[in-house]
Parts: sequence; structure tokens; C-alpha cells
Amino acid sequence: MTTNTDTRILVWDFPTRIFHWLLVASFAAAWLTHEDNRFLDIHVFAGYLFLSLLLFRLAWGVVGSRYARFQTFAHRWPTVWAYTKGLLTGEASRYLGHNPAGGWAIFVMLALGLLISLTGLTVLGGEEGHGPLAGLVSFDLGEGTHELHEVLSSLMLGVIAIHILAVFVESFLHRENLVRPMITGYMKGRGDGEPVAKHGLLGIGIVALSIVAASTYFWGYMIETQDDPYRIFKGPTLPDNALWRQECGDCHLAFHPSLLPARSWVKLLETQSDHFGEDLGLDQTALDELRQFHTTNAAESRLTEPANKIIRSVPAGEAPLAITQTQYWKNKHRDIDETYWKNPRIKSRSNCAACHLDAKAGTFEDAAMRLPDIK
Amino acid sequence: MKRKSLLLVIALLATSGANAGVVDDLLRQYQAQASQPFDAERAKALWTAKHRDPETGKDISCSTCHTADLRKAGEHNTTGKPIEPMAPSINPQRLTDAAKIEKWFKRNCKGTFNRECTPQEKGDFLTYFRNQ
Repeated sequence: MTTNTDTRILVWDFPTRIFHWLLVASFAAAWLTHEDNRFLDIHVFAGYLFLSLLLFRLAWGVVGSRYARFQTFAHRWPTVWAYTKGLLTGEASRYLGHNPAGGWAIFVMLALGLLISLTGLTVLGGEEGHGPLAGLVSFDLGEGTHELHEVLSSLMLGVIAIHILAVFVESFLHRENLVRPMITGYMKGRGDGEPVAKHGLLGIGIVALSIVAASTYFWGYMIETQDDPYRIFKGPTLPDNALWRQECGDCHLAFHPSLLPARSWVKLLETQSDHFGEDLGLDQTALDELRQFHTTNAAESRLTEPANKIIRSVPAGEAPLAITQTQYWKNKHRDIDETYWKNPRIKSRSNCAACHLDAKAGTFEDAAMRLPDIK
Repeated sequence: MKRKSLLLVIALLATSGANAGVVDDLLRQYQAQASQPFDAERAKALWTAKHRDPETGKDISCSTCHTADLRKAGEHNTTGKPIEPMAPSINPQRLTDAAKIEKWFKRNCKGTFNRECTPQEKGDFLTYFRNQ
């Protein structure tokens, strides 16, 4: 415990301060981009940065400078309780570094952060098929942890709110600005014992590494062209068939079989003489090959995220003949303004490629969607 | 007029490559079932003739998707998919595969006229296309 004196001493070394504000930035970026699939790249990068920072902080909590070390602020429960009671009566003691309650909040935030990162990676690997856990995590586990990822993140937001509130309460209580030390590093106090080193070079290293990582990750956007847009997430190469490309692709985008259930494709081929008003006139050999290719790779194959979600959204007795008739498609596109569908360049709801950069490949990656400029 | 197009057919036959065989064979088949000699002008008129589509109630013709100029690229009426030019002089892939020609006659005559084309009409069309 310390009392107010006039000596300015370094409490938060440079790496700890950099960690704090980069963590704020990465969490904010991830939070603000989580609703919209188009920003998945930013969300995922923010997540990687967030996790890297947490891992750094874990190490720094062991080998870092005095007030950054876990040992310094891992107070026992009676101390935390006494401090919290003191807050209510206005008699809480002043601490350099984290106070006992604040210290516990740090541990809670570190744990929550690690769990958020872990579930983020299982969602990315399971649902999207990307990241270090791709191929190791099932779609169902990915989807199962998706909700957990969101709940944990909301909890984190709650703890952050308490953290900020506590900073203001304490600042008021002890008549000092507690935001400033996290910027300058200095607090007023008695310099008892081990002085804190600045560790400036390490802090600069963290900033430089973050900038290099961001530049590498997003560099492709700087050099992309209209014809060759940059895509960070590329889906798997799906099974292909020349006859399918030709016969279906002559009149419209060759929709990949994984986008409808097998029963839909069977019905579609059976009713080929009235295919959305046209008689396809396919011979038996072509019909057999197309049926084989389509039923083998239909949505039941669960080759992609849309395949997984489409097969689930179509009721067992139904066999929709258009992807746009599935509930999944409708839900996914309900926010698209009518002016887009009516635009002469887009023309129809079946024109997936107008917005989906990977429509031809059939992968329909979340992040490969861009609304065109129709003005 | 008929004599002129017939002369053109003969001229093309004389200078034709391998692909001409495909068209000639089809023309022979169609001619056996047609009452009059083939006429590119008749096909040209039919190409832009409007027909009411019973499903949409809109007037459509071959040129709705393919444009009135066979040398130009078109666009599928409902899906917006680009369609390569019909003229073999611009797009050498055209009129090289008898099965494809038959398939598209069947599909597009039904889609546009709501019936299959007669051998007379198909022969007229082929005569019209090949000269472009």
C-alpha cells in the first residue's frame, strides 16, 4: 500500500501500455465487424491480434516488470473483499498498479479473452473451414461453439464496462486521473523497492510487428483489380463436371450441386421439359451423367457451409427447384434492398455472381461477398 | 432473291472447310422435309418477329436475347448470362456440332415460339446464320 506523495514513478512499462491499447483496438474492431460477413477478414485479423496480445501478456505476467507481473496483483480473497467494501464506504486504500479488485478483473478478462479466441478458432475452422483448426473441427462443433463465442464476447463487454466504471469511481475516490497512467505510465507514489524499467524497445517491437502483420494480411487489397479481386478466404476446390458446366452454364450460372438437396436435383432433371418455362431437351446419356454428378455432390455431402445450412433449412418432404426458394437463402438475403435485384446489371436473384466473387467455384465464402456499386 | 441465296450457299460450299459438312448434312435432312428452298430473308424476318410469351405476357423474339445483329453478343433475357455472337465469321465455334444445333433449335424455338420449329424454318435459319 502506498500513499500520495509528489514523486512520479513509472508503474506501467511501455509494452504493458501498448498491450492495453492494442487489446482495446482489436476487441473493438472484432466487435464492430462481427455482424457482417463482408468484414470477416477484419474480424479474423482482429481476433489473431487479440490472441497474440493475450499470449504476450501471459508471458509478461511472469517475466515482465514489477506491476505487470501476476504475482503483484494476485491478491487473496479477504483483501479483495476488504477493498471492495472500502469502495462502498469511500475508504478504500490506494494502490500503485492494479488494486485487489482490479487485479481479479484482469484475470477474468484474460481468461475470457483466451476462451473467446479459442471458440473463435473453432468457429472459423468448423463453419468456415479456415484457420489453424480447419479440417480438425467438425461443422457441428464449429456451429455449437459459435453461440458460446458470442456469449463470452458479450460477457467480456460487460466486464469491460465494469472495468471502465471502476476506473472512474477510483479516479473520483482518490482524486486522480487513472486513465493517464495507462498512457504515460507514471503515477504519483513512493518508489519503494524494485524500480520499473521502460522496456521501450520491446514496446516498439510489438507495435512494429502488429503493423507488419496487418500490412501482410491486407496487402492484397492494395494491388487488386476489378477483374482479380483479392480474397483472403478461398474455399476448397469442389468436385467439377464438364457436362454440368456446359449444359447448365449455357443459360445461367452453373449452380453447384451442393446448393440443393439430392431430391431437388432428381426432380429438376425429371421435369427438364419444363425447366422454368424452357424445354432443356437433354438426352438420356446427359441426364444420367448429370443426375450422378448432382446427387453425389448434393447438399447432403455438406461440402461447404452453405451446403450444411441449406440441407438443414429444407423440410424433409420438400424438393425446391431453386436455391432462392430455400429458407436459408431467403434469410441470408432478406436485407438486400429491392433496387439491387431490379438493377439491369444484376437482373435476377439467380445471378449469384453479381455479388459473390466465388459463385462459379460454388464455395460461397462469407467474406467473398461484395455488393456492387449500382449507382 | 431465292436464286441469290442459293448462289451464296453454293459459293460457301465451294470454299467451305470441315464445318460446312455439318451444316450441309442438316440442310439436306431439313430440305427433304421442307416444301420450299431455304431463304435467309425469311429467317431474318422470323428472327425479329415478336411473339407473346404466355407466362410473362411479354413480347419476345430471337433477337430479344441474341440481338438483331448476329455479329453482336447477346444476353439471356431472364438470367442476364452473356451469349456469344451467332455469326460463324465472328464466333467460329458456331454451327460446328449437329447435336448442339438440334438441341438449341428445340430449346429456343419452344422457348420463343412456344412450339418446335419446322424443318423449313430450321433450314431458313441455318442458311441465314452461315452467311453471317
